Amino acid sequence: MGDKLFSILVHLSVLVIALVFFAIVGDVAIKGFTAIQWDFIFTEPSRSGREGGVGPILVSTFLLLGICLSIVISLGLGTAIYLNEFTFHKSKFSKIIELSLDILAGVPSIVFGLFGNVLFCKILGLGFSILSGGLTLACMALPLFIRTAQSSLRGIPSEYRSGSKALGFSKATTLIKVTLPVAIPGIIAGLILSIGRAMAETAALIFTSGYVDRMPSSLLDSGRALSVHIYDLSMNISGGDLNAYRSAFLLIIGLLFINFSASTIIKKTLRVEN
Amino acid sequence: MLKLLALVGFTLSLSQFSFSAEKLVLTGSSTVAPLLGEIAKRFEKSHNDVRVDVQTGGSSRGIADTRQGVADIGMVSRALKPSEKDLTAFTVAMDGIGMIVHSSNPIEKLTQEQILNIYKGKVKSWKNVGGPDKSVTVVNKAEGRSTLELFLKHFQLKPYEIKASVIIGDNEQGIKTVAGNPNAIGYVSIGAAEFSISQGVNIKLLPLNGIVSSTENVRNGRFPLSRPLNLVAKGEVSGLKKQFIEFAKSSEVSDLVRDQYFVSVEQ
Repeated sequence: MGDKLFSILVHLSVLVIALVFFAIVGDVAIKGFTAIQWDFIFTEPSRSGREGGVGPILVSTFLLLGICLSIVISLGLGTAIYLNEFTFHKSKFSKIIELSLDILAGVPSIVFGLFGNVLFCKILGLGFSILSGGLTLACMALPLFIRTAQSSLRGIPSEYRSGSKALGFSKATTLIKVTLPVAIPGIIAGLILSIGRAMAETAALIFTSGYVDRMPSSLLDSGRALSVHIYDLSMNISGGDLNAYRSAFLLIIGLLFINFSASTIIKKTLRVEN
Repeated sequence: MLKLLALVGFTLSLSQFSFSAEKLVLTGSSTVAPLLGEIAKRFEKSHNDVRVDVQTGGSSRGIADTRQGVADIGMVSRALKPSEKDLTAFTVAMDGIGMIVHSSNPIEKLTQEQILNIYKGKVKSWKNVGGPDKSVTVVNKAEGRSTLELFLKHFQLKPYEIKASVIIGDNEQGIKTVAGNPNAIGYVSIGAAEFSISQGVNIKLLPLNGIVSSTENVRNGRFPLSRPLNLVAKGEVSGLKKQFIEFAKSSEVSDLVRDQYFVSVEQ
């Protein structure tokens, strides 16, 4: 009896989650896909986004993501490797770093937005720019990425490292040939989570990369991210709903595409290096 | 790793690209920002080497950024206060603020007193003002929004006196909140509300002090709760700043003003 009840409850919770997911994606897909045309991806928005497309906004979004990811991957992977491979993980120093990362991971994004606005836009003089926005996004995504990458490195049995050492491999060789390849699935998961967090971000970007919906001609130009555009169209522009749905549909497609290609690229490069 | 280096190289080469155009930065009211965004685009068309960047964030931000020099011009959706006389205001359009309820609500009008009591939390049910026996959902604007400040001033309320059920930010959010809740009451830009009603959104505008809430009554000055949409600047206005402000006030952009459901102020 108890088993049956438990099984019903478990199935029910899966059903609820699946329903919520399909309700959201279905709603966006039906309302967004019905009227979408190729033009929408390439043309500039007009009448404050009520008409026209999202061309410049897509470009800004990809630039933001590019800056964010290049920093998250390089700094994040470095920190994760340091914390797990180069320092004793119970040392006071790594404890402090881990604690601060956990706190940062839970900080609301608007706080990162205001921090980015003060540090990058004002103190460093980058102004409202894609560079400021990308750096702010990186600050936001780093804690999440480091913690996932680190926990996937930690999950590797120490025998792997000892074995590699016994064969006379250097620390670097061990890392590149043994530990990292094993940790890759976890690192990809962390990367995908970071991309998701960056692409969905609105609050941190309104005050850093800004609101300008023109085609950016440099990284020091202000550029509107897709999520900011969706927020503005649905919450601030009367009559912007249809284009908000279209943009949201594009955002979901983009996320799926990036997640898929990120994982294949990383898997492939690793096989080549091996 | 190579890909990473390539990406960094690409970003660096891109940042070399920035051309040395003259640039104007505007920040402030989210109500005004979409309008100025369109005005900026039209201005750029006739001034080739000028870039006008329009940012958003609320009127208070517009004031602060203009004072600090972060922005060249601020956007403020209300008249300046006595404490803000260090800035100069230029009105580009007018907007009215109207009370809205769900279209299924049988209430056709509310007195000043009744609205006041609803927002103070003294009237908790629509029954007490002649409606059905349903509890009122009070929709209020967030702190720092000039719509809130105007509303407070008109009804001579203090912020802490308001007992709100829902706090909202931008206009369209207010319209959606009320359209989605048959027992809600809120206040939003009249132009945006008129447009939403014409699109079949489930809201209706209530008259204020017996005067119909319409852009027409805002235009002729009869509507009691209206506001100027201002550009503000610090110190003496000259050069490009002056050119842009004059352009934004001119009849060359009055079609853009109407397109955002505001009332244009013909020169």
